[in-house]
Amino acid sequence: MPEAVLISIWLIGAWLRILRQSRFYQIEEYMSRRYLRWLLRDWRRALPLRPLAAWMAGVAFVFARGDATGSHLPFLVALVAAAIAAVPPATTEEKSPLVVTQRLKRLLFGAGLASALGAGAAVWLTSNAGYANAAAGVGLASSLGFALFLLAPLWLVAGNALMGPAEAALRRRYLKQAAATLDKLQPKIIGITGSYGKTTTKHFLRDIMSARYATYATPKSYNTLMGVSLAINRDLADDYRSEYFISEMGAYVEGEIERICQLTPPDIAIVTEVGPQHLERFGSLENIMRAKYELVRNLPADGVAVFNWDNPYIREMIAQGYPATRLSVSRQASLEDARGQDITWVASDVSESLSGLAFRACHVASGEQALIETAVVGEHNVTNLLLCIAVAFHEGITLREIAGRIRGLRPAESRLAAETTASGITIINDAYSANPAGVVSALKVLRLHVTGKRLLITPGMVELGALQDSENHKLGLLAAESATDIILIGRGQTASILAAIQSTNFDQSRLHTLESLDDAVNWYRQNLRAGDTVLFLNDLPDTY
Amino acid sequence: MSKRRPQVVAVIFGGRSVEHDVSIVTGHQIMSAFPTDSYRVVPVYIARDGRWFTGEPLTNLDNFKGDGALNLDGVQPCLLSPDTRHHGLIINPLAGRFRQSEVQRLDVVFPALHGSHGEDGSLQGLLELADIPYVGCATLGSALTNDKIMTKMALRQAGIPVIADYWFSRETWLEQADDIVAAICSEFDFPLFVKPATLGSSIGIGRADTPDMLRASIDIAANFDRRILVEPAVTSGIEINCSVIGTGDDFQASTLEQPVSWDEFLSYEDKYLRGSEGMKSAERIIPAPLSPELTRHIQQLSIEAFKAVDGRGIARIDFLARPDRDELYLNEINTMPGSLAFYLWREDGFSQTDLVQRLVRFALDAHAEKRRNMYDYQTNLVAVASRRGLKGSKGKG
Repeated sequence: MPEAVLISIWLIGAWLRILRQSRFYQIEEYMSRRYLRWLLRDWRRALPLRPLAAWMAGVAFVFARGDATGSHLPFLVALVAAAIAAVPPATTEEKSPLVVTQRLKRLLFGAGLASALGAGAAVWLTSNAGYANAAAGVGLASSLGFALFLLAPLWLVAGNALMGPAEAALRRRYLKQAAATLDKLQPKIIGITGSYGKTTTKHFLRDIMSARYATYATPKSYNTLMGVSLAINRDLADDYRSEYFISEMGAYVEGEIERICQLTPPDIAIVTEVGPQHLERFGSLENIMRAKYELVRNLPADGVAVFNWDNPYIREMIAQGYPATRLSVSRQASLEDARGQDITWVASDVSESLSGLAFRACHVASGEQALIETAVVGEHNVTNLLLCIAVAFHEGITLREIAGRIRGLRPAESRLAAETTASGITIINDAYSANPAGVVSALKVLRLHVTGKRLLITPGMVELGALQDSENHKLGLLAAESATDIILIGRGQTASILAAIQSTNFDQSRLHTLESLDDAVNWYRQNLRAGDTVLFLNDLPDTY
Repeated sequence: MSKRRPQVVAVIFGGRSVEHDVSIVTGHQIMSAFPTDSYRVVPVYIARDGRWFTGEPLTNLDNFKGDGALNLDGVQPCLLSPDTRHHGLIINPLAGRFRQSEVQRLDVVFPALHGSHGEDGSLQGLLELADIPYVGCATLGSALTNDKIMTKMALRQAGIPVIADYWFSRETWLEQADDIVAAICSEFDFPLFVKPATLGSSIGIGRADTPDMLRASIDIAANFDRRILVEPAVTSGIEINCSVIGTGDDFQASTLEQPVSWDEFLSYEDKYLRGSEGMKSAERIIPAPLSPELTRHIQQLSIEAFKAVDGRGIARIDFLARPDRDELYLNEINTMPGSLAFYLWREDGFSQTDLVQRLVRFALDAHAEKRRNMYDYQTNLVAVASRRGLKGSKGKG
């Protein structure tokens, strides 16, 4: 029986490790391939040192003293070794803690079951093997137990596979329920997609449309099929108010938007940008464009598509000629160009200051125009606002009223929201999903702050595939121009930014590379004074 | 605008009011005026005892001839939910084992109720709670114009001519009838009109030529209302009616009419039941034979009066005039005129369909205007109060 006890302790250790690993599995969106790729990127993640050492020391001792027949010492040593291995390591900073969802519980159940089956097999093996002596039995049990512990990531993967059919059935039921709810409410559906700008545009549009219509938008950046159906099931089940439903649609692979469109068939489609966001997963910009175009393709023939004309890939979408009603907006084209190019809305006289953006929005066909002023900053928001204006105007809200609503807009959380702390330091937060266009806007905003030091804190951009190095290089050059002090977080993915900054005449003593966000926050608390400004640019998940 | 599903319009008629039957007629006129391609009409019938019903058979006026309408197949109990999420009716609210309750979303509500519990602001209050756009005056305008005493106070303040009056409560009348009659006789010459403060359609209104008739008329009126008003009659005057529609700052007055049976005074039956199409066929002269100046003056006064009582949607405003003596008085404002004063707007080129569609548009505009208000103002008051404990939330801390 001592073997069974040993294996049980290792199993408990394995369970604790499964629990810790499930957080990363969750961050990688329950995708086994992505999770394993993350795990194997650093061998220390896959092979924790303390349990390894405990197992080796235990086994070494057992074999060294294995001849002492009848002694309980080998077993006791192996027991202590297993206990040492099982105790969880001290926790470190967690930006996104484990979210205990129903799905996670089912996953943990599956992983626990798979590992328990493995433990059962190990117990069977040890009790049916013939041994030279008792120490060999203890050694085998320790080794199998360690294997059980080491395989914790695989138990997660196995648990996920085990629960696969149940998950699929639940998903189908969930989707059906969401579809039934929408069918009952029959709201007019506005779909928003794009590589970036989706969430901001969604929130702006909801606030503007609410001037006249009861408008519901999916919360935060819910933009997956399950996210959208979750929002519907949770928020709309007994809510008959909404005349408009704004559905943000994101994609990591082709076909994903198509599926969201089947749940929320759009009457109006908005395409914000096509860019290298998630290029790594898509493979090419053409694939990204095709994925985003799924939204437009899913419009009915009498639907309305609204495009950002300034993006060359989106111009290709417009040229497809579907549907008949295509609205397009531009902040780059002049009014004369717009007439020739069939652009619907243009912005002119764009100016940006610390108090916000101002521009003139002009409806090209009628010549009707209005001065748009808002506390929201970031020049890319001119495009986002023009897209909203195009939709709201088309849906019968007067330009005068739209302008009034825009005046009251607030930036979405973590998206270029500026606040001043009690100690007088201005914090600009653009912590969410930085992208090439957003970075340019954010750094421009940083440059507006001229009262003191301008500190940029960034871990760089990721998931841009082949373009990652070149885009980060551009970020570095622009950062050197815009900031007086720079803190890079992490070494690996910031190398190209560092190289770019070092290629300029930026004062190297004002450039720091730190390990964590906490270190960076400590640094600015010690080194900045009232009047200084900090820009937080992008925030990577814990898996970086 | 891109394609829209048909707008769901609930027309509410009947009601707990002496004008219940008139409202059924008005409601059916309104329902039949909506074009079926862009609107879906949901009939909502409030029975005399205050029960609510909906269902297709209620759109057919013939079903109301007997008492059987409520037993027809497809007629179901319902209520209008004040919960903003429902945004409409709950059908079968007390669902049992065999019936399911369901929600019918409404885009706009068209109250076609006359008099109490409908034209007086109470239904409007419910619709405000439910946050559903509705046709006609809001709570204040409805409540104010439903009360003749309050209407005259507001109009005097706005500089609009009204007839002098004397008013008192039923309690006072029961205790001090002699004093009241004496006071009225010393203040006004006969003939007089006695009116319950809050009823339209001539019900309970009596004409008195002597103190005895005055007592009798007041006794009758006291059966209909808690407050009573007495006015001198404008003898050999003519009645002139004008309808106003609009919302916000944009109002329009209709062609004027002169009902010709004024000197014999319209009884309830005269006013509504002559002929089959309600008021339309009562004897009247349209346009009223007045000078262009007086016509314009009355139209102008109508708009001013409607604004003064915070009106919106539609009203028919009744005047008494003695053009020979240059006298003109505003007599009454009806915010849900019988037949929606269709017969006046026809003269201005509006069909019934045009009129109901415009009124729906006004309702949506007014609701959008209300949306500009912020209702969701986050404070940390509750958190502070709970931290301090409720007793200390003011003063002591």
